[in-house]
Amino acid sequence: MTFDPIPPDVRHRLKGLRLTARRASGASGIGLHASRSRGAGLEFAQYRAYEPGDELRQIDWKLYGRSDKFFVRESERESPLAVWIIVDASASMGQSDTTRADYSRLDAAKAMAACIAELALRQGDRFGLISLSDKGLRVADPANGLRQRDRLRLELYGLKPAGEFPSAPALAPVWERIRAQDLVIVISDGFDEACIALMERLSAASREVLFIQTFTAEERDFPFDGGYRFEDPESCTELLGDGKALRADFLRKFAAARQTLEARLTASGIRHTHHWLDEVVDAPLWRLFGGGV
Amino acid sequence: MPGLLFPLGLATLAAVILPLVIHLMRRDEARPVVFAALRWLQAKPKPRQRIQFSEWLLLLTRLLLLILLALFLAQPVLNQAVDQTPYIAVMPGLDPKAAVSDDKARVHWLAVDFPSTETSAPKAPTDFASLIRQLDADLPKGVKLTVVVPETLQGADAERLTLSRNVEWRVVPGAMPAAQPVVSRPPTLSIRAAPDQPGARYFRAVATAWERDATIAAPTDALPPKDTALVWLSAGPLPDSVTNWVKTGGTILLSKDVQTPISDTQTVLWRDDVGAPLIEGAYLGKGRWLRFTRGLAPAQVPELLEADFPDHLKALLTTPPAPSRVAARDYAPLSGRAAFAQAATELQPWLAVLMALLFGLERWLATSSRRRAAP
Repeated sequence: MTFDPIPPDVRHRLKGLRLTARRASGASGIGLHASRSRGAGLEFAQYRAYEPGDELRQIDWKLYGRSDKFFVRESERESPLAVWIIVDASASMGQSDTTRADYSRLDAAKAMAACIAELALRQGDRFGLISLSDKGLRVADPANGLRQRDRLRLELYGLKPAGEFPSAPALAPVWERIRAQDLVIVISDGFDEACIALMERLSAASREVLFIQTFTAEERDFPFDGGYRFEDPESCTELLGDGKALRADFLRKFAAARQTLEARLTASGIRHTHHWLDEVVDAPLWRLFGGGV
Repeated sequence: MPGLLFPLGLATLAAVILPLVIHLMRRDEARPVVFAALRWLQAKPKPRQRIQFSEWLLLLTRLLLLILLALFLAQPVLNQAVDQTPYIAVMPGLDPKAAVSDDKARVHWLAVDFPSTETSAPKAPTDFASLIRQLDADLPKGVKLTVVVPETLQGADAERLTLSRNVEWRVVPGAMPAAQPVVSRPPTLSIRAAPDQPGARYFRAVATAWERDATIAAPTDALPPKDTALVWLSAGPLPDSVTNWVKTGGTILLSKDVQTPISDTQTVLWRDDVGAPLIEGAYLGKGRWLRFTRGLAPAQVPELLEADFPDHLKALLTTPPAPSRVAARDYAPLSGRAAFAQAATELQPWLAVLMALLFGLERWLATSSRRRAAP
């Protein structure tokens, strides 16, 4: 049996979706994404005065006939895009709801990563994968094609939640591989400050960063009633408490923390959305890329 | 009417505290849950304390099980409802309608199993006194008992009836069939005589007079069956085997020179014409021995030659049947015996079955996967 993290109904809905980037480099060939750079292309951008060194075939001779001056016709270059999928594989991603104990945050993240890869494959964009964990940081360099998709699936298949979020020195490969103007989609629970800091720095360094924050339904509803021992899988701290007594306080604080984080991300120019573990995996993608459609 | 034979067993009820405590403690036991957003959880300094039990059904089952156990140890019984209707027992052979004036009373034949007088009269009982004692024991305290008897009773005990209640002893004209006269046959004689003992021939003559057999054997020969009287005419102490034979129910007749065991109950059984003892005897175990006080010679015991010597000996060796005919008015029962406790139905087996069922239910509830998972 092949490993396919995408449920069939989600795969069906993916047909209406398209990965879009706000900025594409335009430096590396012809693709689907609008870029700031001018050059040869189908989409007219502007005329500009001829400068020595311009190719003669770029001169608009009809305009020369009208105005007796050399103008060069410029178009927008439509470029391909490199899509980086960064999956947080720290231990906190292994959390799941009690009602569906075998479906963790990481499983949802894998499904979303596979969806993004599918979209990129269809658009002809290159896609790569980085999984972050202090037990080991794995990188699959961006490429296109079915083979790359299968490689990605293999990487996702072997991914297990373990350890903490990697420290800053361990994140060096991320800086080495991700080039400017690349599209970076981070899938994480966003509970680690290091993760937010990484996204902010990537965004500041002119990478287009998108963030899908995955929550369990329990973090939204806090349906605990009775005595529980809450365990943090990463710091291994514990808290004993009565679910009902803790609920109101937790929901208030958690909502406030989410608002603060969203404000930070917006300030850094990071497009972001969330994913609840009990909703379909393509919902955040529609929120990010569905746009006004 | 339910009752408890051992009310102290109810002290086991104190054990119901156990499941209560267990279920309270299980509630306190916190279920572990992975929760990465721990930093937004703040521990309450005083968690809300509520007395709340988990698994109500299981708790109820366990409580019920313990209560039943306490009841079981208290040995519950169910006393049957007391039937206070007067009871009339009529001797078979009498007319119950003529004898009974009370309409509401239960009328039964005084016979084995006490059949109702609706049925035909059974055979007259051979042991009616025992039946009356049984009736007295079976009937609850306070039930009036009337016994209707004919003027003459056959088969009475030697002891006058003593019952726990005052019995109305109604004597009506009539009679019971007389019992068959018992013919008492003298025993056969087995004579063990030393060769120098001349007395054996008198006993042979006695056996001939009784028209019974007499065997003569040496003292070392095997002992006869118990219905045979042993005649021991050998000087010296009795062998152990013979003593044991007597103790297990044999009758032995001894000559003067045989040493007999000392006995308190030794009595003179036959005196001669001048009042001198001739035969003395005593019981030994289940059997008895008789011994001549003089040597077996006509010079010392002239009765040996008398014509009625076999009759005298027969009277000594056989026990005549006890008299059993009595005038009913002289046999009226006395009262004064302590009342019998009435038998009650034991409820313990049923409780045990119920407890086994409950235990099965409890195990099923406690182990089935149906139990709700933590939310």
